[in-house]
Amino acid sequence: MSYRMLNQWVGPIIFIALSVVPLLLGIGYALLYSLGLTGIINNGFTLAHWHTLLQDASFWETIGFSLVVALSTMVISIALALGLVLREPTRFQRPIPSFLMYMPLAIPAIVMAFFIFQMFAKGGWLSRIAFQLKIIPELQSFPDLINDNLGIGIIVSHILMAVPFLVLFFTNIYQNEDIDAYRKLAFTMGTSRKMSLWYVQLPMLLRPAQPTLFLYFLFVMGSYEIPLLLGSQSKQMIAVLTIQKMQRYNLADIPQAYAISVAYTVVVILLLYIMVWVSQKNRSYDP
Amino acid sequence: MTRKLSRLALWVIVLFPFGFILTLSFGQRWPYPRLFPQSWTLSNWIEIGQSGAGITSSFWLSLSLSLSVAIIATTLSFWGSRQIAFHPQKQVLLRFAYFPYVFAPVILAACLQYFFVRSGLYGQLAGVLIAQLCITIPYGLLFFSSFWNPKRKAMEESVYTLGGNVWQAYRMVLIPTARPTILTCFFQLFLISWFEYGLTQLIGVGKVDTLTLRVFQYVNESNIFLAALASVLLIMPPIVLLWLNKRYIFRLNTNKDLL
Amino acid sequence: MNYLPVYILKGTLILTLTGLLGLSCSRNASDAPQVDPRNMPWEEVKQSANGQTVDLMMWMGDPQINTYMSQFVKPALQQQFGINLNIINGQGNTIVQTMLAEIQGGQKNSAIDLMWINGETFYQLRQINALWGPWTEKIPNAQYINFANPFIGIDFQQPVDGYECPWGNVQMALIYDSVKVDSVPASPSELLNYVKANPGTFTIDNQFTGLTFLKSLLINFAGGPKALDGPFDEDKYQESAAMLWSYLQQMKPYLWKEGKTYPEGVAPMHQMFATGELHFTMSNNDAEVDNKIRQGLFPSTARAYVWETGTIQNTHYMGITQNAKDKAAAMVAVNFLVSPEAQYEKMNPTVWGDGTILDLNQLPTEWQRKFARIPGRVHAPNRKDIQERALQELAPEYMIRLAKDFRTHMIN
Repeated sequence: MSYRMLNQWVGPIIFIALSVVPLLLGIGYALLYSLGLTGIINNGFTLAHWHTLLQDASFWETIGFSLVVALSTMVISIALALGLVLREPTRFQRPIPSFLMYMPLAIPAIVMAFFIFQMFAKGGWLSRIAFQLKIIPELQSFPDLINDNLGIGIIVSHILMAVPFLVLFFTNIYQNEDIDAYRKLAFTMGTSRKMSLWYVQLPMLLRPAQPTLFLYFLFVMGSYEIPLLLGSQSKQMIAVLTIQKMQRYNLADIPQAYAISVAYTVVVILLLYIMVWVSQKNRSYDP
Repeated sequence: MTRKLSRLALWVIVLFPFGFILTLSFGQRWPYPRLFPQSWTLSNWIEIGQSGAGITSSFWLSLSLSLSVAIIATTLSFWGSRQIAFHPQKQVLLRFAYFPYVFAPVILAACLQYFFVRSGLYGQLAGVLIAQLCITIPYGLLFFSSFWNPKRKAMEESVYTLGGNVWQAYRMVLIPTARPTILTCFFQLFLISWFEYGLTQLIGVGKVDTLTLRVFQYVNESNIFLAALASVLLIMPPIVLLWLNKRYIFRLNTNKDLL
Repeated sequence: MNYLPVYILKGTLILTLTGLLGLSCSRNASDAPQVDPRNMPWEEVKQSANGQTVDLMMWMGDPQINTYMSQFVKPALQQQFGINLNIINGQGNTIVQTMLAEIQGGQKNSAIDLMWINGETFYQLRQINALWGPWTEKIPNAQYINFANPFIGIDFQQPVDGYECPWGNVQMALIYDSVKVDSVPASPSELLNYVKANPGTFTIDNQFTGLTFLKSLLINFAGGPKALDGPFDEDKYQESAAMLWSYLQQMKPYLWKEGKTYPEGVAPMHQMFATGELHFTMSNNDAEVDNKIRQGLFPSTARAYVWETGTIQNTHYMGITQNAKDKAAAMVAVNFLVSPEAQYEKMNPTVWGDGTILDLNQLPTEWQRKFARIPGRVHAPNRKDIQERALQELAPEYMIRLAKDFRTHMIN
């Protein structure tokens, strides 16, 4: 093998070994388990687990709800982060503001869920303030902001976690792609502020950001701790449902948990293909 | 004026959760509608110090594990992402990077557990390290994928034109210009490893008792004051680390000169 | 200053490498075939346990319990028997998942020797044949345990058969705030009235404790204590469950969040009780109320009680894994955990307040006296009084069905 060949393939091979192989093993195992072909609680091939799952309306609701929560989180967070960055792009390149944005990254999901619970519950801090200010007459009249069917608590927590990350991320891209230079160029050519924003800055920021944004979307969709503590059991998110089948009381439910995760994988791969397709379509308009 | 106000608001929003959680960790008895706990005490801190003998050793274990994961994963993915970015099969390879995330994380842990038992890495630090690399390296690759653009390529080429070698290209051009990206990625990967619970618990069988494993349990328990205290223990080390290295990390402006 | 990160990096790399090397060398060190400790005299069992490590997996969410284990049990085992007790964190579901993976992966040397388990975990572990046994009669302190007591010798209607050793005994209690609740509901119908008059202040959790409460209601609708004893009976279940769901349906609109969702475990329920959002919470441990008041979590006006219809009494156990590395050491450790000395310390409300599983009448008089002098409970009910209202755990299938049907009838 020549040095050039080695150089070209060593990176991809390490990466395939660490990311593709474990996944293929995992998905294979899950598929076999869901079909009753492996695992000591199974007794041979059966389609029963898949049958139950695909006919279960609450499973489809769960998939839909997870998508909606992830999508709302991303749209709101991206809008907020872009707002913060584009107002003054150089701001978060400075040490103190950037340290300020780094700090919230150190809050793990479970602590964020705990914090939001202490803030937004009926007996939480906001309710206490509202009571002291005589806005509400008693604890019970505070609105349902968590454990609600709209997923407000879940979305708020995820936004608080996502915005600082996205601000830092967009700032990096802004710097990397030297967007400022293009913005100035656009101005000298007489482009309006609005036009430059829509046709220069936003596309230049969002296009390279796409893979990471999609990854974050998946991260929100597959999140567990936040929906477990702040969600509602009549509107569950996917990871909560899976764990419930995996670890709660009935060992016979475990193959179904594996079936759910295979189904989830299929959904995510579909989304991935849509994303790739859309981005390629966009790219084809490039000059 | 509005700009100043909005800045102030941002400060308050960011710092408030930290203050709130830290305050709670010293609290005792907090009936509605009081805004602050009725009494203050150090007993939560004393109690957890006594019961969790070994918090210090867990801290060092976590620190070395997370730093190792972050260093190895950042290095490999920075280098690997460059290989992939200019690879003829770039699109296909990059799509593979999503693979670990198409699986629900909780199930990934359960499936991988089986294979780690099989390979004998189960219940060991090495197993946990490898498992954490499996989820951090692809993340790093995707993170860096936006970094490698034609301009970067041109910069690298010019190093070779001027007679430089690969080592010089990395040391003098690529790493310095990538510093903010590398550091953000490093910190992210450090945090993923620092807070990792599911894989660490299942593959380390609780024997690789990281700080997160030790105090995580308290966050989910009924005592909110202990939960707050456990949260402080989880959050503070990364922030202190960030602060200690601030001069190293936040020299973002200087890169402008290079571009 | 700039060099600090470099030092940290270097240190980490060295640490990691030595760690990896050390671990890979120490692996499989104890592959030697074991002699079955059940066939050895106890003195020999003790000798062979000397110098061994016992990996105990248990729930570590309560600092008081952790302190008891790390400050009392661990040093005592080290000094008296030369056993190094390594406590690792993991609840019932983690235990089951770990055992499943080990068995499916063909692991011959379990990473866990000893486990703190409850009835539902016992049932699942027996299903997958993950427990070693029978062994409990072989430990000397078994002489003080009355296995004929149905609350101890029978776990979820399944005889323990020597596969798990009782460790502590608790009874479910309802906890209320005496400032907010004037007269406590003594029966299901009184509870319904209370909830209707005070909407949004009562709920049950979606996990083990809530299910235990549902079970006691189910027993009540089935006709009272002993009505559902024995193996699972579909007809009896259908009949009593129909009454249970119609009772709960009446309550549903007045439950917390109109019964659309339920707290995920007792922890959030306790927290909401502490702020006053809920007037009631519940605990599988009748002594917990004192514990939580002392920790400054519950208001000092919180009280616990067992209603007239009775609540489930539940024993927790120690089990040894089928593939434990050193079963002798695990047996010695359990023998200490059920010794009068360790049980006495554990029962003290300022230590843990966990009920003993020892039959006090069988103890030497000196120990009987000591147990009688354990400081009393403050706000928790007296154990002797609630014993009369104790219900036995039901067969595990009842819980599985209740959990499933609760979703259908009360959530979706």
